[in-house]
Amino acid sequence: MLMSEAGLRGSFCSTDAVSSVIEELQYGLGEGPSIDAFTQDRGVIEPNLAEPSVHRWPAFSGPAVEAGVRAVFAFPIRIGALRLGALSLHRDRPGPLTTDQHTDSLVTAEVTAEAILALQADAEAGQIARALEVDGDFHYVVHQASGMIAAQLAVGVEEALVRLRAYAFSHGRTITDVAQAVVGQSIRFDRSTGAGESHPRD
Amino acid sequence: MATRETRLARTFVEVVDTLVADFDVVDLHTLVADRCVEIFAVDAAGLMVVAADGSLRVMAASSDATRTLELFELQSREGPCLDCFHSGQPIFNQDLANAVGDRWPHFARAALEQGFSTAHAVPMRLRDQVIGALNLFQTTGTLAQDDIESAQALADVATIAILHHRASIQAQMLNDQLDQALTSRIAIEQAKGMLAGTTGLTMEQSFNQLRSYARRHNRRLADVARDVVDGTLINADVELPPAT
Repeated sequence: MLMSEAGLRGSFCSTDAVSSVIEELQYGLGEGPSIDAFTQDRGVIEPNLAEPSVHRWPAFSGPAVEAGVRAVFAFPIRIGALRLGALSLHRDRPGPLTTDQHTDSLVTAEVTAEAILALQADAEAGQIARALEVDGDFHYVVHQASGMIAAQLAVGVEEALVRLRAYAFSHGRTITDVAQAVVGQSIRFDRSTGAGESHPRD
Repeated sequence: MATRETRLARTFVEVVDTLVADFDVVDLHTLVADRCVEIFAVDAAGLMVVAADGSLRVMAASSDATRTLELFELQSREGPCLDCFHSGQPIFNQDLANAVGDRWPHFARAALEQGFSTAHAVPMRLRDQVIGALNLFQTTGTLAQDDIESAQALADVATIAILHHRASIQAQMLNDQLDQALTSRIAIEQAKGMLAGTTGLTMEQSFNQLRSYARRHNRRLADVARDVVDGTLINADVELPPAT
């Protein structure tokens, strides 16, 4: 997951459906292991997500466990003081990382940081490197939907994104799913009530 | 009074400290030149480092007179720093009176006029990469093996600090570029959504409107998108067909 001080940027790469769910949940909810690893600038270890000793992520944990995640680990992707994002790893059974696995994770996060910048070094001015763009998911549909909601409600895009998140959370849907429905005009936000309404297509 | 070993150890700590604290590369150059004079049996020190264009620059000198001498070395294109930089090999205990004859006819004369009798230079090198050289001058005597080895070690550590600093500047620059590219892209997607939300156009049609507006007004697409998002540019403006 790529992040900056300004917020979450999107996912650069996920290896399977479950890790996509982890990334999507964190993007939609704004909480989770990667976000903690980035903001706190340290490794985050949760060896037993289903029965944790401390409940850290009230919104993230339930759906993540439902998707099959039993242990989750996240490490900052950084070069020196420069922070680029976080690497998250998951397992379908509880338990800690071995010392070797822990070391390998740190090395992988470091190599990832170098690789992201090496790829971006080849980009045209003002552009995202094509290799990052192809493999990444920067949630463009969410930003398109924010723009549409901003127009529908006559509010700013930041406010529109908050409304989109709130709608997704209260309806138990992912933010990308709702964003696609907004762009496809099957959900519209009403200016008089400020609420999102479903408009099933005839 | 601290012993030579204590002062040397302290200097190494100072140079390595620049790897973590808010690093100023100019401070590092000056620190190395100044400490050489304090610790070793030399009377002046100067530091040259290669710039991005491949030419050597005088980065620090222990005195103004030494700085002038270093600049003269660059100007006359001869001297210990240049030889050392090009060969990657150190020069020790070069008698300047002997160098007047053939090695450095112009530089050696200028150095003798400054009162120096002996010159030394150690490369600023990491493996195959030579990034500069450290010049040391004495008014009398020669340098002991001990000082020679310590000066090289100091130059090695300073080189690592400088290269590390360059790599971190490069990484910072690339990350800023990536961040700006993503921010621009997000603004474009938001502007597409706003236009589509107002007009009922598809995302693709909205994008084409934005792009053709940017072209007609000779502006960057990302700037037009930002103006749409913050309301500076209203959707109706972007929709207007080109003036005939």
